[in-house]
Amino acid sequence: MNVFEKLQTIDRRILYLLIAVVIAVPLLQRPSRHPRIVFSEVQNAYQTLRKVPKDKIVIVSCVWGPGTRAENEPQTRAIVRHLLREGTRFVILSWDQLGSQLTYEDASEISKELGKRYGTDWVHLGYNPGPMYAIIRGLGKSFQGVFKVDRFGKKLKYIPATRDVRDYRDIGAVVEITPSGTVSSWIAYFNQPFNIPLVFCPTAVMSAEAYPYLDSGQLDGMLNGVIGAAQYETLIGMENERTYAAAASWALSCAHIFILLLIVLGNLGYALSKRSPQRRGGKSIV
Amino acid sequence: MMGSVWNWIAAPRYGWQFAVFLCGALSLGCLALIMLTSTPPRYRKTIVAAVTFLAGLYYAFEFLIPPAFWPLEPPRNPLSEVQPLVATLTQIIWSFALLLGVWNLFVIHGRAVVKRGRGWCNSAAFFISFLAILGAGLLKDYTQGSTIRKASESVFTILFSGFLTSLDATMFSLIAFYIVSAAYRAFRVKSLEAGLMMAAAAIIMLALVPVGAEITNWLPQSGILSALRVERVGYWLLTSPNMAAQRAIAFGIAVGSLAMGLRIWLSLERGNFFDRQL
Repeated sequence: MNVFEKLQTIDRRILYLLIAVVIAVPLLQRPSRHPRIVFSEVQNAYQTLRKVPKDKIVIVSCVWGPGTRAENEPQTRAIVRHLLREGTRFVILSWDQLGSQLTYEDASEISKELGKRYGTDWVHLGYNPGPMYAIIRGLGKSFQGVFKVDRFGKKLKYIPATRDVRDYRDIGAVVEITPSGTVSSWIAYFNQPFNIPLVFCPTAVMSAEAYPYLDSGQLDGMLNGVIGAAQYETLIGMENERTYAAAASWALSCAHIFILLLIVLGNLGYALSKRSPQRRGGKSIV
Repeated sequence: MMGSVWNWIAAPRYGWQFAVFLCGALSLGCLALIMLTSTPPRYRKTIVAAVTFLAGLYYAFEFLIPPAFWPLEPPRNPLSEVQPLVATLTQIIWSFALLLGVWNLFVIHGRAVVKRGRGWCNSAAFFISFLAILGAGLLKDYTQGSTIRKASESVFTILFSGFLTSLDATMFSLIAFYIVSAAYRAFRVKSLEAGLMMAAAAIIMLALVPVGAEITNWLPQSGILSALRVERVGYWLLTSPNMAAQRAIAFGIAVGSLAMGLRIWLSLERGNFFDRQL
C-alpha cells in the first residue's frame, strides 16, 4: 500500500480518537471569547424579544430533550436570561418528558441568579404530550382553556404571571426551540393567523430549512444552533464570560476544520493515486 | 349549558377527587376499547372510519368556512369557539397513546422475562429501570417526611441526570463520529457536481463557525471585496440557492401531505389500520 492509498484508508478508530480530542480541548479550556460576527437573523431575534410590550407574555416552546441538549440548551438559557433581564414575563412549554425537567432547572438557576421569582416573572407549564397543532390552535382562542395548571398543579388564574393571560392578544411573541420541523405548526396555526412575532431556535442541521420563512417574514429571527446562542450571548452583554456556548462555538470551529482537512486528505490521496504509475498499470483501489 | 358541563368535567382536581376522576376516565376508556374490540370486524372498520372522518371534518370546517358564512353577529365561526375543548380532547387521546406504549413495552418485555429466552436480562433491566425511576419520582413528589424525600431526590437525580439524560445525549453525540468517518471515506470529488457540492459544503461549514470569519478577516467590511468574505459567501449560499431549493422541497412536501392527509381522513389509506384484522 503506497502513501496515496494510506491517505484514503486511515483507521476509523484513529479518526474517532482525533475528533474526540478536537472537540474536547476547547470545551475543557472554556475560552470566554464569543463570535465577533453576529448574523442578521440573530440580531432580529434579539430586537423582536426586546420590543415585546411588558404587559404581554412570551411563550418559550421547548421541543428538545437530552439528545440535542448541546445545541438547544444554550439557546434556551440565552433567551431566558434575556427575557428575565428585560423584565418580560414568559411561560415555558415543554413537549419532551426529559426536556421538561431540564428546561425547568435551567430557568430556575438563571432566575435565582438574577433575583427573579417563579410565578411572578416566569412560569413552567410542564410536559405536554401534544399534538402540537391542536394545542397551538386552541391556545390562541383561550390560553387558560388549554393550559389550566402549571407544572406543580397550581391553577394559572392564581399565578401572578399568567392570571391576566386570556388569549392571543396577551401574547407578545413565541420562541420555538426545537431539533425538528415543528415551527411550521406555530406559523400555520398561531403566528400567521394572529400576527404574533415568532423566533426560531433550531439545531444547526435544521436551520437551512428556515431561510424561506425568514425571507417571507413569517419568522422574525433565528438562533442558528449553538453558534446562534453564542452570538445571542454577545448581544445580551456576555461576550467576555466563559460560557458553554462560547466554548462550543470554538469546538465546532475546530471540528469543522478537522473534517474539511480529512476530506481534502482523502481526495488528495484519491487524485494522486489515479495519476500514479501503479494505478495506470491497472490496479484498482476504489 | 354544554360549556358549563364541560368546564366542570375539565376543571383541575386534586387529592381524592383527582383519584376518582382518573379511575373513572381509565374505566371509561377501557370500556370503550373493550366494546370496540368485541364489535364484529365489519362494523369495527366502519366505526373507526366514521370517527376519523368526523374528527377531520371539524378541522376542515373550522379552517375553511369563513366567519361571514355563519348567521351570527358579530361574524364568527362558532366552531372556533370550541378549539380549546378540542385541544384538551386531543391531549387526552394522545396521553392514552402514551399509556398504550407503556402497556406494549410491559407485554413484550414481560413475555421475554417469563420465557427466559435470549437477551431476557435486557428485558429485566427495562423493568428494574422503569420501576426505579417511577418509584423515585413519585416518592420525591409525594412524600412529606424529610429523610425519605431527600433520599428519593438523590436517587432521582442520579437516575435522571446521571443515567437517563447522559445516555440519551451519548446516543445522539455518536453521530459526530459517524459523520467524520463517512465524510472522510465517501466524499470523493469524482465529477463537477461533486466538486460544486464540496465547495458549497466547505464554505457553509466555515461560514457558520467563528473561525470562518477569522480566515477572511483581512478583507474589508464594506465595498466590492467584502462580498468575498467567507461569511458573506456562506450567507448568500444559504439565502439564494439553498432557499430556492428549500422552497421547491417545501412545495412538494405540502402537496404530498395534502394528498396523504385526504387519504387518511377518508380512510383510503388502507395501510393505516385496515390492512390487517382489527
